[in-house]
Amino acid sequence: MRHALRVLALLMLVLVVTPSGAAVAAQDDRPVVRVGTEGTYPPFSFHESDTNKLTGYDVEVIKAVAKKAGWRLQFVETTFDAIFAALEAGRIDVIANQVTDNPERAARYGLSDTYTYSRGVIVVKKGEKGITKLSDLKGKTTAQSLTTNYAELARKAGAKVEGVEGFAQAAALVVQGRVDALINDNLAALDYLNTTGTDKIEIAGNAGDEVSEQKLAFRKDDTQLLQQADDALAALKADGTLAKISKKYFKIDVSVENSGEADLSGGRAVRSDAQIVKDSAWPMLQKLLIATIPITIVSFAVGLVLAVAAALANISGSRVLRGIARTYISVIRGTPLLVQLFIVFYGLPEIGIDLPSWPAAVLALSLNVGGYAAEIVRSAILSVPKGQFEAAATIGMGYWQTLRRIVFPQAARTAVPPLSNTLISLLKDTSLLSVVLVTELFRQAQIAASAAQVFFPLYLLAALYYWVVCAALAAGQGRIETRLNRFVAR
Amino acid sequence: MTDTSRPLVAVTGLTKAFGDNHVLRGVDFAASSGTTTAVLGPSGSGKTTLLRALNVLETPDAGLVRIGDVEIDFATLPAGKKARAETSRLRAQSGMVFQSHNLFPHKTVLENVIEGPVQVQKRPVDEAVADARQLLEQVGLSEKADQHPFELSGGQQQRVGIARALALRPEVVLFDEPTSALDPELVGEVLAVIKDLASQGWTTVIVTHEIRFAEQVADQVLFIDGGVVVEHGTSAQVIGDPSEERTRQFLRRILDIG
Ligand SMILES: Nc1ncnc2c1ncn2[C@@H]1O[C@H](COP(=O)(O)OP(=O)(O)OP(=O)(O)O)[C@@H](O)[C@H]1O
Ligand SMILES: [Mg+2]
Repeated sequence: MRHALRVLALLMLVLVVTPSGAAVAAQDDRPVVRVGTEGTYPPFSFHESDTNKLTGYDVEVIKAVAKKAGWRLQFVETTFDAIFAALEAGRIDVIANQVTDNPERAARYGLSDTYTYSRGVIVVKKGEKGITKLSDLKGKTTAQSLTTNYAELARKAGAKVEGVEGFAQAAALVVQGRVDALINDNLAALDYLNTTGTDKIEIAGNAGDEVSEQKLAFRKDDTQLLQQADDALAALKADGTLAKISKKYFKIDVSVENSGEADLSGGRAVRSDAQIVKDSAWPMLQKLLIATIPITIVSFAVGLVLAVAAALANISGSRVLRGIARTYISVIRGTPLLVQLFIVFYGLPEIGIDLPSWPAAVLALSLNVGGYAAEIVRSAILSVPKGQFEAAATIGMGYWQTLRRIVFPQAARTAVPPLSNTLISLLKDTSLLSVVLVTELFRQAQIAASAAQVFFPLYLLAALYYWVVCAALAAGQGRIETRLNRFVAR
Repeated sequence: MTDTSRPLVAVTGLTKAFGDNHVLRGVDFAASSGTTTAVLGPSGSGKTTLLRALNVLETPDAGLVRIGDVEIDFATLPAGKKARAETSRLRAQSGMVFQSHNLFPHKTVLENVIEGPVQVQKRPVDEAVADARQLLEQVGLSEKADQHPFELSGGQQQRVGIARALALRPEVVLFDEPTSALDPELVGEVLAVIKDLASQGWTTVIVTHEIRFAEQVADQVLFIDGGVVVEHGTSAQVIGDPSEERTRQFLRRILDIG
């Protein structure tokens, strides 16, 4: 058992260290520009199903821009609804994710020249005759990412908007009849139809007559990067690079207006569910091993230390310490973990504490675990008979010695079952970490699902992975409990 | 036990109150090296509190306690770090055997006994183990060294408790009703061990309700009632021929029942 754990730890260490070790090798003094992109929005930004590499039209365009402008890129993947927050918080420097120009955005951000002309389309369940134009959406429900331009369009047309995380999820809601329609980019819709080979949904019509223009978005004050991007885009248009990238994906040049009907056939192959699951199994397992499990272990360890500190403070004689501990526990238990994650990652930078994704994730989760486990630890300590403290005192032991050698080993008996529950919850809570831009198991499932445009089998696979680990933890708990109960008369 | 030698234990004017409950109201007594002192008294009279005060598990409000060459005047004891160092020095002078043994359940018998010597006194493990084995032999538990407390009978557990207290080589061993939690048939084996200690020259203070036992082994008997020492003297004096009415009443009651 112990040996197996050590091997697992070593394996994870190797997986974690190898890629980052390779990256720092070369000396490079080009400026680093962090690109925010969804990674789940094919054909613009997605992961190739076989290599898991980030690619897509927007990804290739920003890479070409970087080459011309002399930038070193660092991609940061996030959901669209967190992408502008990330830009404003300085987590990323540019968004390359089909940001559609509109007056609000133009006022708030630095928008580059256009690199995609497209139009929105309305997608409905096949056979739905009542919806063909925007005005038909009045009183209907559509599924959109809440912060997109299309969500705004739907709202203006009088539709109710349900928030979703991406195109594939929206499409599933349409197929299931839970919403009436979705509005999205013509190219994204064509990609979906092509990749899934589905006959369950269809493009019903254009969402208005306007052609929309997609641009790179920078912080408003970041004029230098914006200028460099515009120069690069102009050069790429002039030398035909942009047209070439576009034709690879759409057979036409979408970087100019009115270039005809896009054709996405022959793009990514339609894959069976079994094939999709097979292709995604290893990348997801990797994320389980290098992200989900290590973050869980580290957060639990740190959280346990916090919990012990809070528990000891809470039963100490000092009124101040007790007050601090109780406030901490109350705040943690009284606020959602998602909010805690947002505060640590997007809030703390405002007061100058700018933590990268992983430390922010570990900090938020540790604080959370600490708050919950503190009460468990406290009642476990109090469950140790008073006579044990006195016996330790009478043989001359000090405070810490008594805790370490006499109290904790006995308190563990009481604490292990509820702490195991905390650990299991923690493991599952890591699935929220995509909001702080950590790609863990569940985020990887989302990435794979969006590339394949199906998500049910992949979420099922993710569930299976979580379940296997939780079952292993539960088995471990049983063994520890047997060990701890050894010395107690039954 | 000549009158000229300084007593090993000296207690003067010891008081302790829990809120309004004045449990010790000025206890005075002394015990010479190598003697056995039996403490008798009705329930609630403050016997346990007195023993706990000697071991500083309870901090007295006032009074002087001296064991060997460590002395504390509790009336003037300041708070803080210095006081903790003082009290732990005094505490180290005595070993405590509890009514309900309070053995460490997660440690073996041997580990229970060496815990103090190794962890607190920092003695070498081999030496502590050799010592502990000898003590376990003395209390008749050599075979049980590697078992855990839950595998032992109540009498055996109490004897391990005694070995644990002796292992620290204290000046005085304090017993708080060491047999009253035991089944009657187990009382004898524990009393035999304590009697043995007396003959080996250990100084002991024993709170007990076993009057016959006290009569046999005690060099000195204290009768406590209402937080003061009502009567003290040899067992022949205090138990055989008490001079105070309260002592007589107590003995009559307890001997009728026992
Ligand atoms: N920690 C405490 N807090 C408050 N009151 C206490 C505490 N310990 C003891 N007392 C009180 O002090 C008084 C004396 O208690 P103590 O245990 O010393 O009596 P005792 O002589 O040992 O009695 P017994 O023969 O029943 O063991 C009792 O009234 C008891 O309720
Ligand atoms: Mg008592």
